Amino acid sequence: MNEMRLLKFLDGFRGLFERFGVDYPVMRRILQIKLTMDGRRVPTIIGKARKKADRAGHKLYDGQEAEKNQFFSSLWLYLIFGALSSMFVALGDNFIFQMSLVFGILMFMVMTSLISDFSSVLLDIRDRHILFSKPVTPRTIGMAKTLHIFIYMFCLTGALGVVPFAVGLYRHGVVFALLFVAELIWMDLLIVVFTALMYLAVLKFFDGERLKDLINYVQIGLTIGLALGYQLLFRLFEFVDLQAAIQPRWWQFLVPPVWFGAPYEVLIHGDSNRVLLVLSLLALFVPVAAILVYIRVMPSLEKYLQKLADPGTRKKEGAGKAVKTISRLLCASAKEQVFFRFAWTMMGNEREFKLKVYPSLGFSLIFPLIFLFAMGEGRGFAGLPGTSKYLFIYFCALLVPSVLIMLRYSGSYKAAWVYRVLPLGEDVVPIYRGTLIAAIVRLVLPVYVLEAALFTVLFGWRILPDLIVAGLAILVYSVLCFGYLSKALPFSERFETAQQSDGLRTIPLMLLLGGMALVHYAATLLSFGVYIYAALLLAANWVLWQRGFAVKTRG
Amino acid sequence: MVVANEPIITMRDLRMRFGEKFVLNGIDLEVHPGQIIGYIGPNGAGKSTTVKIMLGLVEGYTGEVRILGARPQDGGVEYKKRIGYVPETAEMYDTLTAKEYLTFIGELYGLSEDSAERKARLLMEQFGLKDVFNVRIATFSKGMKQKVLLISSLLHNPDILFLDEPLSGLDANSVMVVKEILARLAAQGKTIFYSSHIMDVVEKISHRIILLDGGRIVADGSFEELKGQGREGSLEQVFNQLTGFDRHQEIADQFVAIVQEV
Repeated sequence: MNEMRLLKFLDGFRGLFERFGVDYPVMRRILQIKLTMDGRRVPTIIGKARKKADRAGHKLYDGQEAEKNQFFSSLWLYLIFGALSSMFVALGDNFIFQMSLVFGILMFMVMTSLISDFSSVLLDIRDRHILFSKPVTPRTIGMAKTLHIFIYMFCLTGALGVVPFAVGLYRHGVVFALLFVAELIWMDLLIVVFTALMYLAVLKFFDGERLKDLINYVQIGLTIGLALGYQLLFRLFEFVDLQAAIQPRWWQFLVPPVWFGAPYEVLIHGDSNRVLLVLSLLALFVPVAAILVYIRVMPSLEKYLQKLADPGTRKKEGAGKAVKTISRLLCASAKEQVFFRFAWTMMGNEREFKLKVYPSLGFSLIFPLIFLFAMGEGRGFAGLPGTSKYLFIYFCALLVPSVLIMLRYSGSYKAAWVYRVLPLGEDVVPIYRGTLIAAIVRLVLPVYVLEAALFTVLFGWRILPDLIVAGLAILVYSVLCFGYLSKALPFSERFETAQQSDGLRTIPLMLLLGGMALVHYAATLLSFGVYIYAALLLAANWVLWQRGFAVKTRG
Repeated sequence: MVVANEPIITMRDLRMRFGEKFVLNGIDLEVHPGQIIGYIGPNGAGKSTTVKIMLGLVEGYTGEVRILGARPQDGGVEYKKRIGYVPETAEMYDTLTAKEYLTFIGELYGLSEDSAERKARLLMEQFGLKDVFNVRIATFSKGMKQKVLLISSLLHNPDILFLDEPLSGLDANSVMVVKEILARLAAQGKTIFYSSHIMDVVEKISHRIILLDGGRIVADGSFEELKGQGREGSLEQVFNQLTGFDRHQEIADQFVAIVQEV
């Protein structure tokens, strides 16, 4: 199989590993086990069957279901991003400029996906008890973990780099292509080491919770950065003078992508400018130095990982009061208030929920703005007042479907037994409504308010009624989404059962959102149309929030 | 290879602190082979920390620790080949099957793949888990997982066993089996560190009981010796006395009163 070939390949470097003091056969075995585990995802069938059938009666034999690694099926996305960045390779032969840019993009992509997707590998605390209590040196374990990450990194980099490589080979020749490959490998080294050292620093000075927060922020940053970055890149085409010669500046020595751009000038153009030479040497030696430091400090990272298991400091209790007041204001019954507060705290504390939802939070924040800029037709902000472009605020509701889909999952899904044990009765409406209100207030409302404030600044006070109407529409939309998506009690299923197809299911919902925005647009064409639309939406809200939840649960 | 008179574990003035708080306040201990040691104490007394120090999982202590002739802070790992460990947090790679997990652990302890697998299979059979050898651990009940953990700590025939609540989740019949196994292992000269909150079991199986409180050893000796120091009753009562806890009736009264409020 695939992983066997990979391990065979590694066998070739056995001597090198042993020189670093690594027990090679043991490391290989740990790596093999880790790869096996990656391939296993508990399929949906089990999650469902387990509710009905007794656990003991349901046995899952090895190899019974297809072992599919999610990661490999998402590689094509990176392929596309790589293809986009290859345009800069083709552009001309101002290498220091083009290749710095390309490496800037690639480094950003690899680094952010490393942090958001592979942190779990780097930060697995089970390893502490299972591996470190065995007669295996910390160095061997550290190397196994590092290689585990590198394997994914190389696949990812491969997917990103293959198109730029081909373009470079065709456009600039063999030397260019070979240099590109070598630099990609060096870049990966640098990124892994940098990320690990960053974690080490965070763990050393803060607690584990802070590190997990950091990972969350990076995810939001990744989505916003990606969306924004590509906007900016396309704009660069318009005003960048490709003939501009590089002006050496001190800060260039601090920007790693520039290091990686420099060797092209030196090796291909034969430029022996001292600045370029120094930059090239940095590209060559900093990653090597970093890896040596890394091998030394990796064991102490393991030591600090213990902190991840610690509960961390709790917030002060004052926050609870505000939530209580909000729940009293917004929820009809006591039962509904309870589930409002329950969902509120779960959304705030459930790490995995945040990990899955925050990226779409980022998108919802940035999408309306991107559309504003993309359709600005070069007139800038001054051209905005008087147009209907404020309707892009509807895009911030893109968050709603993904939040609603994720609400049913939880890392501690097993605790859902409380639903069945508690005397909740047949009436599940308060559960759903309370949870939905909490989700809207906690996640959608802040995004909406932020965008609305920004739009008011850009478009002027005149659009305030329209923004309020959009808000009403989003409320209607939320209930409609709820009605359309399949229901399950909040936080009652395990994340592993989340399916790719969930994403597809949101497409009709996106069209619906677009439709609502169009209706709004049509309303603005009539006199008093917006107010009629507002009245209709109020009525719809009235009906939907009362009746829209009367549904039966599956199972 | 182990001389009966030679201590297999020695600790002198072992101290450890996390931040400002001292978890261990000077532990002195000598352990000789062939004993089952009941290692008890209230939550937070420092039991797990001592065990983790001996396994080299926790660093930064002061004082002297020697286990099987090695000093954990030196960073050597050879001595761990002779130790078996069942941690309190029953952590396993549970997406693996029992066969995969046990073979893997056996190999980490230095067994060959074949012998690790063969031994794991035979031991699983003895525990009545033959049918689930190729099933993923994630689907196991608590007791089944505990059995897998026990097997994983014994595959390599260690000289010292650290067991933290090893009976948790096991049914009454399995408890009897495991107790017998422990007695036999001790009779063969193995040292067993047995941590538990279930005093009845500790009382019955331990040759020596060490009671930890606030990072100090407050009692050390056989159950008879502990009782003989002017105290009476079960180990549970001795435990209460030594840890200075006599409010259980008072607390129970208040608790029930609050329950009835509604």
